[in-house]
Amino acid sequence: MNMRDALKKRNNFLAQVRQFFSKRDVVEVQTPQLLDAPTTDVYIDSIAMLVNKDIEKQSKYLHTSPELEMKKLLANGSGDIYQICSVFRDNEQGSQNFNEFTMLEYYRLGFDMHQLMDDIIQLLDMLGVQGRVSKLSYAQAFFEYSDIDILNADFETLKIIARKHSLSTDFEWIEDLQILLFTHLIEPKLESLPLCFIYDYPATQSALAKVEGQIAHRFELYMNGIEIANGYDELQEVKIYQQRFSGEIDKRVVLGKTSVDMDKDFLSNLKNSLPQCSGVAIGIERLLSQIH
Amino acid sequence: MANYSTSQFKNGLKLILDGNPCSIINNEIRKPGKGQASNKVKLKDLITGKTLEKTFKSGESVEGADVMELNMQYLYNDGSEWSFMDPDTFDQYMINDNAMDDVRGYLVEQDICVVTLWNDNPISVTPPNHVMLEVVDTDPGLKGDTAGTGGKPATMNTGIVVQVPLFISIGEKVKVDTRTNEYAGRT
Repeated sequence: MNMRDALKKRNNFLAQVRQFFSKRDVVEVQTPQLLDAPTTDVYIDSIAMLVNKDIEKQSKYLHTSPELEMKKLLANGSGDIYQICSVFRDNEQGSQNFNEFTMLEYYRLGFDMHQLMDDIIQLLDMLGVQGRVSKLSYAQAFFEYSDIDILNADFETLKIIARKHSLSTDFEWIEDLQILLFTHLIEPKLESLPLCFIYDYPATQSALAKVEGQIAHRFELYMNGIEIANGYDELQEVKIYQQRFSGEIDKRVVLGKTSVDMDKDFLSNLKNSLPQCSGVAIGIERLLSQIH
Repeated sequence: MANYSTSQFKNGLKLILDGNPCSIINNEIRKPGKGQASNKVKLKDLITGKTLEKTFKSGESVEGADVMELNMQYLYNDGSEWSFMDPDTFDQYMINDNAMDDVRGYLVEQDICVVTLWNDNPISVTPPNHVMLEVVDTDPGLKGDTAGTGGKPATMNTGIVVQVPLFISIGEKVKVDTRTNEYAGRT
């Protein structure tokens, strides 16, 4: 594809995305990209910026995702919103990962995770994405493509399985080994599926999704084996956000990563709770690469 | 020997795995959106020649292997050991016969081979891509066949058997491709 055609493809794609949301009365927003607090996510690093060097030196951080800033809007009565923006991540490696990429993030009030997945299917359909849609729970995916009972297998059992597959077992926490097993045993099997939602993650990988028993209401979308989107039935209570953040901060300390502070401004904006909603982040370049 | 972190992995880097020196032939990094990056590495075991795959978490470190590849001249073998010489230093290295399984049939005295040393001990030998060998046994050829339409097995002076054209007779020298064990001409 020549330069002009590639630009038109992207332009047309973004116009269709905006049309999709406009029809549903989802409002486009733009939130700050330069933040006071870095992300607490254990395996995502913010890019730090030193600003105001001539006045009063101060550290700021490029956003790794617009999630918290958009949740501030949701907590203050924004209603359904979406955003298309560049996000920035430090220490990214691998052929599919970059320090800067474009993210589409959107939130639908009153939706549960499955309603949001249906909404995404409609969006993809409008964008011309073809192919059968599969939906597999995280546990089903492991049963289907391995013989691992991922929700009930303990750390030692998973280590034995990992060793059998010549995979590293050098992990502090079970979730990191679950993720490695998923990446190396399950993901390659998803390559034959054009569109596959994996949902109901183990509670150990809840991130900022609601947890019920041993299950987190979180999903990911894979297209031909490539991770495209990550969504949650969003946590609501500010107290639980606080617990999740401090859990992540503690893990970063154990791993010897740069120490980070919680985003106090986010917590105070949330007041007591976020309205019930589901949200998703979609990697635009990866999605575009799958549309022909 | 130094340890190497996964961030230093690249093709050709030599590592110790399960006690054997291995060479990286492919290094693929995967980083899930939520979760740690990992390196899926394909390696060649330099002792057994086998290819293996191993996955490390990003940041893990692995012991390096002190492996060197040197051009050396093959001198002679005494039945149990094979003698090579570094033409720059004149250092001589003796290699045990059982390490020579795959290459024994391609070694011609005075030829320059690549010898792989691990901790200064030779572990494998790679002969030149083409070697000149002498036919010591083969069926008589058919007169007039010069097109090489058919072929026949011929035993070389080194003991290996190579498929050669029908016109080749005992006592002739032929060129053999050591990577494919195929006849590659007469000069």
